[in-house]
Amino acid sequence: MTVNFHTAAIVAIACWALGSLLSVLARRTPALKLPALVLSFGGSLVMVGFIAFYWSLLDRPPLRTLGETRLWYAALIPLVGFLVEYRWKITWLKYYCMALAAFFLGINLLHPEVFDKTLMPALQSPWFIPHVIVYLVGYVLLAASSVTALHNVSLQLRHKGDDTGESVSHYLALLGFVFLSFGLIFGALWAKEAWGHYWTWDPKETWAFLSWLAYLGYLHAWRYKIDRTKLQWYLALSFVVLLVCWFGVNYLPSAQNSVHTYSQS
Amino acid sequence: MVVVTRRLFQTPWEFRESALFTAVALFFGFAVQYAASGQGVTLPHLPFNAVALALFAAVVLGIGLACRNNQQVKWLGGIPLGLCLIFAIALLSLIGGIVPQTEAAPGSLTVRLGLNRIFSSWPFALAILLFLGNLGLSLSWRLVPFKLKNLQFILFHAGFWIALSCAIFGSPDLQRFVLPIEKGKASNLGYTMESETPQQLPFSVFLHDFSLEEYPPQLLLFDGQSGKIFEELSKATILVRKGITASWSGLDVQVLDFIPYGLPGKEGIPYPADRTAGIPFAKIRIISANKAPREEWITTGSPMIDTRDAQAGSLSLGIRPGTPKAFRSTVTVHDENGHQSKATLEVNHPVDFQGWKFYQMGYDQKAGRWSQVSVIEVIRDPWLPAVYLGFFMIMAGNLLFFWNGIKRTEGAS
Repeated sequence: MTVNFHTAAIVAIACWALGSLLSVLARRTPALKLPALVLSFGGSLVMVGFIAFYWSLLDRPPLRTLGETRLWYAALIPLVGFLVEYRWKITWLKYYCMALAAFFLGINLLHPEVFDKTLMPALQSPWFIPHVIVYLVGYVLLAASSVTALHNVSLQLRHKGDDTGESVSHYLALLGFVFLSFGLIFGALWAKEAWGHYWTWDPKETWAFLSWLAYLGYLHAWRYKIDRTKLQWYLALSFVVLLVCWFGVNYLPSAQNSVHTYSQS
Repeated sequence: MVVVTRRLFQTPWEFRESALFTAVALFFGFAVQYAASGQGVTLPHLPFNAVALALFAAVVLGIGLACRNNQQVKWLGGIPLGLCLIFAIALLSLIGGIVPQTEAAPGSLTVRLGLNRIFSSWPFALAILLFLGNLGLSLSWRLVPFKLKNLQFILFHAGFWIALSCAIFGSPDLQRFVLPIEKGKASNLGYTMESETPQQLPFSVFLHDFSLEEYPPQLLLFDGQSGKIFEELSKATILVRKGITASWSGLDVQVLDFIPYGLPGKEGIPYPADRTAGIPFAKIRIISANKAPREEWITTGSPMIDTRDAQAGSLSLGIRPGTPKAFRSTVTVHDENGHQSKATLEVNHPVDFQGWKFYQMGYDQKAGRWSQVSVIEVIRDPWLPAVYLGFFMIMAGNLLFFWNGIKRTEGAS
């Protein structure tokens, strides 16, 4: 099992690394553009293929443990980078995205998880997949937004900031917020069916609510035309709240009884 | 460029006034909480909470529409105050996300300030109330006069207002009871988290049958003395079935045969039995360095039959019951008015009966598959439809937001 993951992860990382290299070289040699694109996409395709294979092997969606969700991030984050390049002609984001994806796979390579086919009854719900996938897409978009905002901050410090960068981080945050809202409500609807109530201030819920508030605040600040260069700092830092929500919660004193602590037993 | 500095409380009010106002409100909330010795907010039940909410909504809408040009009212419904209140709610939630929301030492500052009950504390209630006021005012200005281009704003904000206000004002009417029921018996006694004395419910539940499905048993290598479990080399949880192999350093194990439901027979060789009585048996071959391979039958055991493990040097090899895959109860519910319903309850599949929702909650975990008790939870929440209406409005508003966001980016590029 682990052997398969090793191969898939290393092939994917190699694809992204080569794709990035060719992409940089393609600035001088346009003929390399296509192979660069094929390789970069190939990395994500390898991960998509691995997820499909792993899903069939597990007989359950590989969305239960943190390590499993990292597989999805690794597959999806580069796609956001490619989308931004295609949509706004911004080329640098995809490098960050591919590096982030490789980083996630690296964590999984260093800390292999227990292969476990079981899925507790509460997770056997039609809401499981939509709830987690919507959140994954939201996190991926907000990660990209945060990276863009950081990039904007560094450009500002060198007095090179421009409006395009700010509008990219803004629209990624806006789309990410929409997905967060859906994830939160899907979670509430599922909780009613599985645990009896739609909201119980479970630590994960509290942190999900906090993350949602952070981006709600951002959107209103943006709307109120607060200095957009300062908002780049805000966007970059908001992601920290998301990170706590994503895996930091497990380490908080409040999380002892959470239904969201993903055991790796 | 001439920078004109605005003095505090010089109109139009903005962020400084909002921050000050919010800080005072929070301080006031904590002061009340402290004065009340940590006693949280208690809200009235139906119909009084519904009347209070309707009055509050009417006052907010009335002020919004009647005084829409008043500078202070504009400020009360404006983004600066909204942002400060969002920040205040986030701050209180942060406390709730860090401080465990459980019992704490009586008389401690945590208890007196309500930090361990933050979501029913006075500062939280005050922040939510002010936030609903702020949100309601801004909503009133977009509702009247109605314009189609405001639809996304109205759906999202009104949805949030409805969901939040109904969830909070309706919380006293949420009833949750836990009913432990023995197989073949009926019960109408429900327990709450707060009290040990059961309450009589307006219906009784008869338990026909409880059944539990498990995943296949797990093969484990462990130290019989300390109970320490050793991880298998491929880092997999080994679910037992015929033909699988597992390895630990210096030790290989093959499962030669597997009987999911069996009973012990002569000379330790089990035979297949029916589901209700049988337990899992596995015949394993143990291959360890410097020793001849040997074969042995092992079993998970049950409340009636002893567990049998195999020895591998100083360690033990055993199979343990798999984790629950599904569990369900067949019940008949009937109430005083003669309504009757037979249903199967399962996790994630609650059943409705006369305004109550019935949930499969648990069972006697020690007895596992042989549990004679099923634990059912019954919940009544008359405010649920209103909260769900809010949820669906938020989602509809969000879809429009998404759509407009994409359209606008097309315009932007």
